[in-house]
Amino acid sequence: MFKKIWAIFRERFPSRLKASLFVGGVLFGVLVVSGLLVTAGAAGLAWTNTEEFCTGCHEMRDNVYAEYKGTIHDTNRTGVRAICPDCHVPRPPVDLIKRKLRASFELWGHFTGVIDTREKFEAERSKLAQNVWRRMRQTDSLECRNCHHAEKMSSDLQSDKAKARHAKAKIDGKTCIDCHFGIAHKEPAGPGPADVKLD
Amino acid sequence: MSAAVQGSRNTAIALCALADGSETGAGSHLPTEKPEKKMSKRLISITAATGVLLIAAFNAQAAVDADAAEALAKKSKCFTCHSVDKKKDGPAYKDVAAKYKGKPDAEQKLFIHLTTNPKVKVDGKEESHESPKTKNEAEIRNLIGWILSR
Repeated sequence: MFKKIWAIFRERFPSRLKASLFVGGVLFGVLVVSGLLVTAGAAGLAWTNTEEFCTGCHEMRDNVYAEYKGTIHDTNRTGVRAICPDCHVPRPPVDLIKRKLRASFELWGHFTGVIDTREKFEAERSKLAQNVWRRMRQTDSLECRNCHHAEKMSSDLQSDKAKARHAKAKIDGKTCIDCHFGIAHKEPAGPGPADVKLD
Repeated sequence: MSAAVQGSRNTAIALCALADGSETGAGSHLPTEKPEKKMSKRLISITAATGVLLIAAFNAQAAVDADAAEALAKKSKCFTCHSVDKKKDGPAYKDVAAKYKGKPDAEQKLFIHLTTNPKVKVDGKEESHESPKTKNEAEIRNLIGWILSR
């Protein structure tokens, strides 16, 4: 097989120079194309991390996004914001791709209308929140820590109550989401993060 | 909820007394008025007061403005320690409602709890309970009505 191709190749490019030019050209082409693909892929991936993309479907726009509006992560005194992917998409590349692949199943949910009405969303709210809480607990609230660095949290600037609770949480081995839930979206009825079973 | 009704009933009784008082007051200034007419006037005022009572009671039933209550609770950071149905550092509002169910002094007790910064025990340590971030008593009572109807 390889010999046959080699024979055709030698026949087509009898001179060494022409042969190397051809091989070089092919390699260069492959490099350019893959470079373009990677760039396009990264740009596409980045595009799925924008507020516009996240609120592109009414399920997000009218439910969770509407609730997020006006919360501390949306608007605050400094204008530093945490938008959807800041809390819901991990930043380390491998985790990011994994999360994006999983999220593609949400398209299925969109087209089969799992939560296409407010009523359906309310019925699913607790379950959906538990999915997020479970992941947050498994990853030690990875996304929170994209911005909130535990070692840089100045306890001097915290209230006495917060100081005491944070100190205790550290001893108890708690993670952010154990206490800080229902912050950007309405708190669902039913079990809280601490009651969610980890698989 | 029953507390809210109770509260409005008190208001209505006060209104009734007021209507009654003004009526007799008017009567004393007009001694020539016939007793018959006075009776019918009294009847009208009683009917009116009953109406007011009914309307007030009805309003109290429907009066809890859940959106306003939740907004105030959020603003006042109540949900840091309380949840509607989950136990946090403070009791769940469902448990509070259950505890005070059918108790006529529930609203007043909670009003004192919310406005006097009493000491509460969190994790074995005493700390002051915060007050809702409003000066408006009606807003606080609405919040209490909301908690009691969880």
